[in-house]
Amino acid sequence: MKIGSRLIQYPIHHPKLIISLLVIFTLITGSLISFVHVDTDPENMLSEDEAVRVYHNLVKKEFTLYDMVVLGVVNEKHPDGVFNPQTLAHVHELTEFAKTLSHPTEPDKKVVGRDIIAPGNVDTIKQAGLGQVRFEWLMPQVPKTREEALEIRDSAMGNHMLKGTLVSEDGKAIGIYIPITSKDFAHFVREKLLEKIDSFSDAGDDQFFITGLPVAEDTFGKEMFVQMAVSAPLAMLAIFLLMLVFFKKISLIISPMIIAMMSVLSTMGLLIGTGNTLHIMSSMIPIFLMPIAVVDSIHILSEFFDEYQKIKDRRKTIEHVLNQLFMPMLYTSLTSSAGFASLALTPIPPVQAFGIFVALGIMFAWFITIIFIPAYVMLLKEETLENFGTPHHASSQKISFLSSFLKGAGRFTYSQSKLILVFTIGMLFVSVWGISKINVNDNPIKWFTKDHEIRIADRVLNSHFGGTYEAYLVLETRQKELSPSQTAELLMKSLTGEEGDKTTEEVLKQAKEILVQTSLSAKNSESLLQQVEEKWSVRQEQSSDAEYDIWIDLTDKLNAVKNRDQIFKNPEMLRYIDGLQQNINQSGVVGKSNSVTDVVKKVHQELFEGKNEFYTVPDTINAVAQCLISFQNSHKPDDLWHFVTPDYQKANIWVQLKNGDNQVMEELAKKVKAYMAANPPPFEIEQKWAGLTYLNVVWQDKMVTGMQEAFLSSFIIVFLMMVLLFRSPTWGFLAMIPLSVTIALIYGIIGFIGKDYDMPVAVLSSLTLGLAVDFAIHFLERSRAAYRNTGSWSEAIKNMFEEPARAISRNVIVVAVGFTPLLAAPLVPYKTVGIFLASIMAISGFGTMIILPAAITVLQGRLFKKIVPPGTK
Amino acid sequence: MKTRFLTLLIPLALLLLSTTAVSAAPPVEEIVDKANKASYYAGNDGKSDVTMTITDAQERTRNREFVILRLDATDGGDQKFYVYFKKPSDVRKTVFMVHKFIDKDDDRWMYLPALDLVKRIAASDKRTSFMGSHFFYEDVSGRTVTEDNHELIDETDKFFVLKNTPKSPDTVEFASYTLWIDKTNFLPVKAEYINKAGQKYRVVEALETKDIQGHPTVTKSRVEDLESGGNTVTEFHDVAYDIGLDDSIFTERYLRRPPREARR
Repeated sequence: MKIGSRLIQYPIHHPKLIISLLVIFTLITGSLISFVHVDTDPENMLSEDEAVRVYHNLVKKEFTLYDMVVLGVVNEKHPDGVFNPQTLAHVHELTEFAKTLSHPTEPDKKVVGRDIIAPGNVDTIKQAGLGQVRFEWLMPQVPKTREEALEIRDSAMGNHMLKGTLVSEDGKAIGIYIPITSKDFAHFVREKLLEKIDSFSDAGDDQFFITGLPVAEDTFGKEMFVQMAVSAPLAMLAIFLLMLVFFKKISLIISPMIIAMMSVLSTMGLLIGTGNTLHIMSSMIPIFLMPIAVVDSIHILSEFFDEYQKIKDRRKTIEHVLNQLFMPMLYTSLTSSAGFASLALTPIPPVQAFGIFVALGIMFAWFITIIFIPAYVMLLKEETLENFGTPHHASSQKISFLSSFLKGAGRFTYSQSKLILVFTIGMLFVSVWGISKINVNDNPIKWFTKDHEIRIADRVLNSHFGGTYEAYLVLETRQKELSPSQTAELLMKSLTGEEGDKTTEEVLKQAKEILVQTSLSAKNSESLLQQVEEKWSVRQEQSSDAEYDIWIDLTDKLNAVKNRDQIFKNPEMLRYIDGLQQNINQSGVVGKSNSVTDVVKKVHQELFEGKNEFYTVPDTINAVAQCLISFQNSHKPDDLWHFVTPDYQKANIWVQLKNGDNQVMEELAKKVKAYMAANPPPFEIEQKWAGLTYLNVVWQDKMVTGMQEAFLSSFIIVFLMMVLLFRSPTWGFLAMIPLSVTIALIYGIIGFIGKDYDMPVAVLSSLTLGLAVDFAIHFLERSRAAYRNTGSWSEAIKNMFEEPARAISRNVIVVAVGFTPLLAAPLVPYKTVGIFLASIMAISGFGTMIILPAAITVLQGRLFKKIVPPGTK
Repeated sequence: MKTRFLTLLIPLALLLLSTTAVSAAPPVEEIVDKANKASYYAGNDGKSDVTMTITDAQERTRNREFVILRLDATDGGDQKFYVYFKKPSDVRKTVFMVHKFIDKDDDRWMYLPALDLVKRIAASDKRTSFMGSHFFYEDVSGRTVTEDNHELIDETDKFFVLKNTPKSPDTVEFASYTLWIDKTNFLPVKAEYINKAGQKYRVVEALETKDIQGHPTVTKSRVEDLESGGNTVTEFHDVAYDIGLDDSIFTERYLRRPPREARR
């Protein structure tokens, strides 16, 4: 007895027990799904301790930055744009409403009311007549008249910090930036705001738009679940209907459905039960697992369908089928598993979980298929199968069409084998050219289809404002530590030149003496300055009034040395930042940027009566410091600390991008690097990026390289397994052909049509590997068997285009068509998966049935040398 | 000079009280009036060295050091303040001057030495930050007496507890604030501010009180911003009352030439 039929003896004899056990196992593991913890945050594509992520969080903390929901209010019709009392009343109401939002059960998730950027919540500094300046709220109250409304507009337009961020330059839009403590609260905020907007009875011409990366990411997560709930069952239904067309027997074809369900439920249950979060990646497990789970059972059913009428005994038929299919099924499952398991090598945690659990799910599906189908078949009464399968004399219309088509294809591959191979090689070259054109890019907003509300909001708001995508360019001082003697030397140098009258000379002499003495014993620069300052202040207290002032002046010099690390108060550095900003603002990718330099320039200008020639950085550190302390007399002095740390050693340039494409961010990062290389900064500084837009770039990089490595390694593993299975490198090489062609073609097409290589596209390479190699294994295994039976390839190939080709064709059609419901999804990654699944099936099926026989025909002498000749059987 | 009846210097913290309402019951009016005078009007004039430590939610601290001079026109009435900055060193010699009026907006000036600029600052809104600290200008110069309605809501062994509600709620960020006033000396020792959502968001507290020249004086106080998690602690050193400050010091002329009382 062969291994296949031996293994199924137990299920055949105890079908009820086996089925009960499987159902119980599925129920137990499936029930774990109720512990689901959803995580839709793409940030988690990077592990918690990934350097760039740690830095991102540090920057957010140090500069008190939050992820933001962007609410745009637009009025295109009113002659004054949004600056009319009614629209501003809406703006005010929405701002106040947003301040109150917090998560009903998790109070830590809330809107940070104090940091909302909105007309009623930002301060502006302006002229107040008689040479006075005034700090006041941009919109202290809702204006009652047109004049008051226009005053708000003029005040906002006159403030560079607000123009392009808070108000659009055409005056037709106001942006309310709502900071939230947790990104997964963004969808909630959006829903609540939409509710509030719906309650306006007098919205008039006002339009409201909500966007921002956190909204896109969180909303995607929520919609993803709707998708899972809709697409997966729809796909199931489509597969079911197609199988009904092929096999006609509902009672029998229900079994692949059950197998798919069991594999998906228990895999998802184990995923969640082992503490993994349900991430965007893992949410796709059912969709990846289903076709693979169904494929094995279709092979069995297809074979059973074709053989039953010959054997007329369900038990013998199923034993026969399993004998035929056991090895190929084991190997296809192992290779598919290996393909996905290789994803565990990527440095991206959710991709690792995805790969491991799909791999596990495939082996589940294989195991369930092997023991469930025989048990299930045994439970069916022999009578119910009476009409099942192709009676060889009276085949149905459809089958005969498929059969005759396949026969023709078989003849063609045999006669035109060389032409086919040449054509294949040509295609490969073209594909490689296509692959070279692949565009690596992603953008969470683009995960929504073009007519989705979020995409529309994104488009509208980015046409009005400097940009709804934030990136933070952080500059940090890298001044060298000085030794005590170097410090003393530096201070001594700054004291020199202070000479003047006799009193001054006397004080200076004492001061220098103290400095020299102290520098001999001080441990480090800091303690030296500390000690000298203390000693000086003792002298200062004892001194006369005239000397007192001189001592203070000297102490100022000492403090200048002490604070030399505070480079972001230094005019030279601020002007450097100004130049850098101008450079990137002109790059075409940046909508706007704000920095501490902008704050200083604005305050300086207003202190000098708002004159344009004072929109500059003043000349001394003290002047800068005094502008900044003036700024801090506002309602929101802490706004300064979004741009610079209180120790003035780090600065943050807040960059607004109009487009969240990773390519745009990469280009910007390159530009900054190039500028800084061409224009060395006045002080040693280090430059780094933070912000969601940048994080996306980093994980994308990891994804691309990670996927390449994972794919290459699984390619090699699968090849080795093939060599092992067929005990021949040549056969192993053959098995790799269809999947190589499929992958080359799929990615070639992606390159040609200009579809961005993004997350779902990257993952598809594993799926291709898994599915395409399946067909090859089945085809080659059966070819060898056919050769053994017939003794000649020209005869064998005829057999191959009977039952084996039909099984593959059925599989191709079922899976390809079965996933077309995904095309209707409003989420782009699902569409992508749907389209490419269908293409992968079609190309790999076609590749298997056309290229493989052609290649075998050409190589037959070599291939069949070792195959046992027919006579000895 | 020291024999004169003494006045207190701005306890930066606990400002604002007022007698108002004719309708207010006599005890409330009396409490409010005494508390106002105890906290803002000790002596005819006063001087103090002040150190301010501003701490943010991340425990990062910044320091300010300045001298405050105060001169009263009448007890409980108009006042003048002169604030001279000593530290941080890059803002040294910066001066902030206020003429506080009971019946109209205050006059405020700032002198920025590095820009050699004297600037009038419009004072229509006094609830803006004082030099980046968690104190408001109004905490420094006092909230004008007639701006709130007062109500005695509790009386304990030690304190009168007053609830104060603004007469024009649109002009301030709070809905009300509650004051705890020490019964023995009428110094307010704690104030809690409630925002319009009904939450307590700001607390000002006297941490240390000393008797100086016969005046109970707050020598250390703290304001906590419960929303941001930051706080500012102010300490008063070398407090002296009735030192005989000249009215001419509190003029624009002296912004560029700080008087000896401020410099040393």
